[in-house]
Amino acid sequence: MSKWVRENLWRHGVAIGMCLFSLFPLYLVILSSLKTSGSLQVGSFIPHEISLDNYRYLFHSPKTPYVLWFRNSLVIASTVAISSVVIGAASAFAFSRLKFRGKKLGIRLLLLVQMFPAVLALSAVYVIMERVYTFAPKIGLGSQGGLILVYLGGSMGVNIWLLKGFVDSIPVELDEAAKIDGASAVQTYWLIFIPLATPVLAVVCLLSFIGTFNEFILARLFLVEMNGRTIAVGLQQFIGGQYASNWGPFAAGSILASIPIVIIFLSLQRFIVNGLTAGSVKG
Amino acid sequence: MRGKFALITKIIFLGITTAILALLTESAFAQKQYIIGSFILVAIFALNIVYLTNVSIPFKFFLPGILFFFAFVIAPIFFTVQMSGYKYQTGNYLSKSAALEQVLNLGAEPDAQGTTFDITVGRTSSNEYAILVSDIANDKYFISTKDKRIDVPKASAKFDVNGVAIAAPNFTSMTAVALAANDAYSRIHYLYQGKYYIAIEGQNAGGVFRQALTYSAKTGILTNSVTGATYVDNHKGNFAKVGAPTEILSPGWRAPIWFENYSRLITDHQVRTPLIRVFIWTFFFAFFSVLSTFGVGLLLAIALNRAMRGRRIYRSVLILPYAMPSIMSILIWAGMFDSDFGAVNSILHTNIHWFQNPSLARAVVLLVNLWLGFPYFYLICSGSLQAIPSELLEAAAIDGANPRQVFRKITLPLLLQILSPLLIASFAFNFNNFNLIYLLTGGGPTQTLNGEIAGSTDILISYTYKVAFGSKTFQDFGLASAISVIIFLMIASISMYGLRRSKVMETFE
Repeated sequence: MSKWVRENLWRHGVAIGMCLFSLFPLYLVILSSLKTSGSLQVGSFIPHEISLDNYRYLFHSPKTPYVLWFRNSLVIASTVAISSVVIGAASAFAFSRLKFRGKKLGIRLLLLVQMFPAVLALSAVYVIMERVYTFAPKIGLGSQGGLILVYLGGSMGVNIWLLKGFVDSIPVELDEAAKIDGASAVQTYWLIFIPLATPVLAVVCLLSFIGTFNEFILARLFLVEMNGRTIAVGLQQFIGGQYASNWGPFAAGSILASIPIVIIFLSLQRFIVNGLTAGSVKG
Repeated sequence: MRGKFALITKIIFLGITTAILALLTESAFAQKQYIIGSFILVAIFALNIVYLTNVSIPFKFFLPGILFFFAFVIAPIFFTVQMSGYKYQTGNYLSKSAALEQVLNLGAEPDAQGTTFDITVGRTSSNEYAILVSDIANDKYFISTKDKRIDVPKASAKFDVNGVAIAAPNFTSMTAVALAANDAYSRIHYLYQGKYYIAIEGQNAGGVFRQALTYSAKTGILTNSVTGATYVDNHKGNFAKVGAPTEILSPGWRAPIWFENYSRLITDHQVRTPLIRVFIWTFFFAFFSVLSTFGVGLLLAIALNRAMRGRRIYRSVLILPYAMPSIMSILIWAGMFDSDFGAVNSILHTNIHWFQNPSLARAVVLLVNLWLGFPYFYLICSGSLQAIPSELLEAAAIDGANPRQVFRKITLPLLLQILSPLLIASFAFNFNNFNLIYLLTGGGPTQTLNGEIAGSTDILISYTYKVAFGSKTFQDFGLASAISVIIFLMIASISMYGLRRSKVMETFE
């Protein structure tokens, strides 16, 4: 008994302590989303009343077009995720498998440039998109189309780099065999590589989805209209520092927005942990 | 069959893309956006050449990627570097020709009496914009266009109840709705007499002005004919008065000032002082964040590094903070530390203004970042602990080392070696952890009294954002770009160092 205590007690102690720390804000936010009063002051840790008023407010108040925000986030994030993987996978394949002049230089450039934080080029992107707006308002500043383009371009560096790592890990013998059988590079890509890489591409796609879902500042700069906002921007603007009055609906909204992401994340845990050691940091 | 289908799909796809891009090019050129237009044009040619011929197989794979990469990554970076060499800020936002035009417009001086007239806006019989002017005081009426003035005999005009002429021969008045739809009429200078003209001051009123400033394109000198003052280009984006260089005309234009934005970072103490403070805090923040998240993550990984009851449950709970969308978590934490209504104060039964006090705000930032980041290192450390060969640890134990010694002498050094690239990457990530700062504290608390925009928890990247976009009244894209370039150089060297280390690791294994 005393040996068990000596060897395991501290382990459970540390684990339980950190679990409480992890759960503390999450529990509180769930608790306050179920309260009727808006504030997040907690009298006790046990809910006395459970009401869905805050959730109802979210869906019915004109101040929070939550369904639209959610749809915007989904549309933007999935468009970006799918397109960037489709475009990125081809580039990654070329960088990983094909031989061409300037390949080394290209890879180095990619590596260097993807370190340039997007926020820093913000003023430049802003000015460029402002100019695009003058001739094509649908894809210029202030439009979802423009935002998607900017995300897509911005994710290129990181995604190609990430995908290249995955492509490198797929055994090269298979496409060499295809090559010997007379397949062209394009055929190898479509018939050998894509079927093999589909699970990996799906993972990168979902990671990219989470990343875009989490993006805030570009979305904030681009999406000015209430109905065009993403969830992140919508909720941030909705509370706008007034936690007191709007906290309840915000709590409900943030929980609903987090659920799909948490589910995706937990189901991909294994892949993500592998990817983590490859040096990618989730935003 | 398959080949034919692929070919048709390809051609249709290429055709549609080309058509859309061609339309975009055309409208870009129409709006004088030559650089963007040319880029799209080049893209059209590149796409068609690459996909219709077999010039280069690799390009078939990465051309779309490269086009996006150039348009939205390389171009903004180039543009950032370019802007950092310009005076590009509020008041110096226009091109030189547009700024000159505005300066000239602002150079209009009313005549000595400040004469105003009742007017009716319309068109002449030749469909030119014109105004029907009623000089009621002198009982004179005339029609004026930008280069003609025709007197109207009183008998031939029609008047409203106030005695303002509303109709005359060869003149068709325009409705208020038509005027509201197109304000081109309001920018015309209608001829009055001599150097004087009538400028529109509303739909029914015009004032008499003359152009005081004249610009000579040959000498580049602006002359004010009223005061006699002359102004020249000061090569810093403004016209400055000769003999009094601080008297400048607004607006200015974006002008190349080369390295002045960079030298301001060092020499201008209004820029330098906050920058140094922000710089130190950024390093401290990034370093301490890595240290705390790594420390706690490692502790957890060690604690849970053996088969024990509840390990799976612990694990799933512990990674929850990492699985949550970070934006939501940060906003939730911000609400919890709200001084009046936040849960933290209500649980502690205190009334602490967390975000008003610099030290408290910094502590909160670090605490929240610990919450956000420790699961990452917990996951990584538990993976890496497993990778350490158990023979090593057993051998040490046989040699009589106690568990603490084993950890300090073997486990930790090995872990640090394996994880150093990730620690460096995490440092670089936190160095630029914009969302955390922006959403949690907004960089505050800030001493706004002396106009300082840098707050106590601002890191370089959030400070740069504030310089460029933070204030509604003053935005300095040039300075922000210069800081951006410096940050990029720092991040790139830190990351390159990390990468070199990871390369070294690969060959070592």
